[in-house]
Amino acid sequence: MRERIYRYVLFACALLSIFVTISIVVLLAKDAIDFFGLVSPVEFFTGTEFLLPRNQVGVLPLVSGTLLVTVIAAAIALPVGVAAAVYLSEYASERARSVLKPSLEILAGIPTVVYGIFALVYVTPFLRVFGLPLNTFNVLSASLMVGIMIIPMVSSLSEDAMSAVPDSLRQAAYGMGATKYEVSTGVVIPAALSGIFSSFILALSRAIGETMIVAVAMGSRSRMIDFANPLQNLWQGNQPMTAAMVQINGADNVSGIGFKSMFAIGLTLFVITFLMNLASNRIAARYREEYN
Amino acid sequence: MATPKETIEWAGETGTVSQLRGEVFKYGCLGAVSFALLSVLVLLLYVAADAFQPFTADPGWHLTFFVTLVVPVVGTSVWYYRRDEPAGEVAIATLGIPIIGLLLAAALAVVLSIELVSVAELFALTVATAVSVGVIVAHARFRPRAAFERLVVLVGAPVVALFGILPEEVTMVVNITLRQLDAPVRLTTRVVSLRELVLSVPYLPLPWLMLVLAVTLPVAAGLGVLVARRRASEDSRTVIGMVVGGALALASLGPFVGPALGIDPVVWILVVTFSVVPLGVYVEGIVRRQDGVPGLAFPVLLVGGILLGAVLVEQFGFAPPDTWLDWQFLTSVHSRTPEDAGFYPPIVGSVMMMIVIALAAFPVGVGAAIYLEEYAPDSGLGGKFVTLVEINIGNLAGVPSVVYGLLGLALFIRILTMPAGSVIVGGLAIGLLILPIVIISAQEALRAVPDSHREASYGMGATRWQTTRNVVLPQAMPGILTGTILAVGRAIGETAPLLMIGAASSVRLAPNGFFDQLPAMPRQIYAWSTNLQPEIRHGVLAAGVVTLVVVLLVMNGTAIIVRNKFQREA
Repeated sequence: MRERIYRYVLFACALLSIFVTISIVVLLAKDAIDFFGLVSPVEFFTGTEFLLPRNQVGVLPLVSGTLLVTVIAAAIALPVGVAAAVYLSEYASERARSVLKPSLEILAGIPTVVYGIFALVYVTPFLRVFGLPLNTFNVLSASLMVGIMIIPMVSSLSEDAMSAVPDSLRQAAYGMGATKYEVSTGVVIPAALSGIFSSFILALSRAIGETMIVAVAMGSRSRMIDFANPLQNLWQGNQPMTAAMVQINGADNVSGIGFKSMFAIGLTLFVITFLMNLASNRIAARYREEYN
Repeated sequence: MATPKETIEWAGETGTVSQLRGEVFKYGCLGAVSFALLSVLVLLLYVAADAFQPFTADPGWHLTFFVTLVVPVVGTSVWYYRRDEPAGEVAIATLGIPIIGLLLAAALAVVLSIELVSVAELFALTVATAVSVGVIVAHARFRPRAAFERLVVLVGAPVVALFGILPEEVTMVVNITLRQLDAPVRLTTRVVSLRELVLSVPYLPLPWLMLVLAVTLPVAAGLGVLVARRRASEDSRTVIGMVVGGALALASLGPFVGPALGIDPVVWILVVTFSVVPLGVYVEGIVRRQDGVPGLAFPVLLVGGILLGAVLVEQFGFAPPDTWLDWQFLTSVHSRTPEDAGFYPPIVGSVMMMIVIALAAFPVGVGAAIYLEEYAPDSGLGGKFVTLVEINIGNLAGVPSVVYGLLGLALFIRILTMPAGSVIVGGLAIGLLILPIVIISAQEALRAVPDSHREASYGMGATRWQTTRNVVLPQAMPGILTGTILAVGRAIGETAPLLMIGAASSVRLAPNGFFDQLPAMPRQIYAWSTNLQPEIRHGVLAAGVVTLVVVLLVMNGTAIIVRNKFQREA
């Protein structure tokens, strides 16, 4: 009797997580559907202007802003993160690892609003010293900080994957005369590839959903990517999806359409990140090399 | 002999080439680790420099503290690292325990000083809790067989003792709902709880005595039990008695000695309870075990260095730096003039939000983890469902925080009509955000308990719940707690959900109820970051950032060090 009650109570706790997912989808979809009653989905998904005062709510400029941030952040975080993981898993002494790993983990606990302030107050003036024509709010320093923020995530997940590669593989390679470099790049990284890729996807989805760094340091003017003048994209500000949501919610004079568009953007964001996380899980599970 | 010589030369050549390539690769990887760590550290140093303005001090000030503080501290640290690792651990612990104790004491002092809970209420709460625990224990002893009855007692006793019937909070929520339905009836009659009964007693003991009984006694008793368990050889009652007696005696000195030294009795009692007593117990254990005793010198050197430096600086008249982060900043409210701006309401708001988050996420998260690890079926339809839940939890952990803010806005504010930007809404929205993280870390902790222990327990006839409660949970608790602390640390820094649920940019009053407007540390920092005044941007903002980061680093650092220690022991 008592056993059964405990079982049900605990089951209800587990069920709550499903409830959270469902309520996110339902509640966001409810307002998003209202929104698509006012603005046609075609206009929303293909519009190239996002101007709240004029009720122009095309999502493409926001997507392009998100894309810019994610690509630049990935260009920094993925190579650095994997290299750091290789060092921690293959080269670092036991002693050094016992200091470095927790330090990286502690750094991962620094709130993102602090990273945003780093970008705005310290990184932008620092980059200007090198003669880069940066605006006060700019894509480059914000994306740099997003990249630095997700390094610990890439390195710790990749390191887990590399540590899981059995030592017998390494010994076999050494036995055939391979150097440490050849073992790292030729044996460990390929064997851990699925784990590394899934860490990439998780980190990218984190970068896409990152809000405070871009809200603090990237300004509030959304722009399409200017392909004619690629570097100009980096010097000036931009607005990704997350920052647009914050701006809509914080503004006083937003119309009904603007306010509801927030839910449509939020739902888009949720779907993108949810799919990416799902894909990451799938890759990790499907392409995992089993060694036993 | 010619052929081998040739091969040797050939091997030597590639040997150097691949050695170079290997070295470049190795140092490249080392560079990556250093970049990840140093880039953030350098930025943190810049913020700290802005917050403390060290260059406004006299060179003599720096020199004095360099000699009295930096040289001995760095010297001993290097010595611990190279020669005596256990002593290094002792050094960290003897420094960390009082600091964490002081933070706890400060949090409780804030709670008492804004009268979120008065001393009398705290006392009543403790009495009611003690009585309900007593009832449950007594019931378990006298009627060990009555399982269903015990469940009723288990839930009923605390509810009646703490909240009465119906609980005041439930009555309030029901009445709000009734008002919205335009129903004429309101719930009024209820049985008074034991807590309220204690409060209405005309002759309550003196406030300091109540505080000692409500705070010092339980904390000391808990410590005593912990110590007694570690020392199986001695009579546990004597140990507990000594710890409790010592703590009570020290704490009770406060009202008599405190005023003479200019210390508030409340502060004295809290500091003794949370810092001095745990430190004393720890140091006693170290001295008894004779393990890493040199580590005890570290805090003495540190505090001694600070005091000596302060005396010397006073003597020579060196000017200290003109810092932004000072006592005034931590204890005053926000102001338009940067020099008077303060961080007090956000600190209080964040502490209160932390309470809501922990209460909301911890029980549910641990419950879900227990179900998934201990109860859930492995195969069949149930097994598929469990896989679904686990995948779902993994995905929820990756959902952007701003979406949780949107969920909070839609669910708590627009559907449940809670006040926008209040402490409770912020806490619940962020509680949902960290729920998956709590579940995942609790699952890992439960998984680390070896199966043989469970099987031994089943073999002795224990049921699943008995096994979970008596065997699995006690072993997994350190892991679960450290995971929760890490998650709560992340929660305190979250800003985006707060913006979405409409937390106000500057709240001038510290909240003293859970339905009040929520000022929070990251929210205030964000508000300051939009200000272009250099005094704000390179002063007040930096001081706020340093405060937040220090709180988080202490929390995360403690959790990670404790976890690694337990992992090594296991």
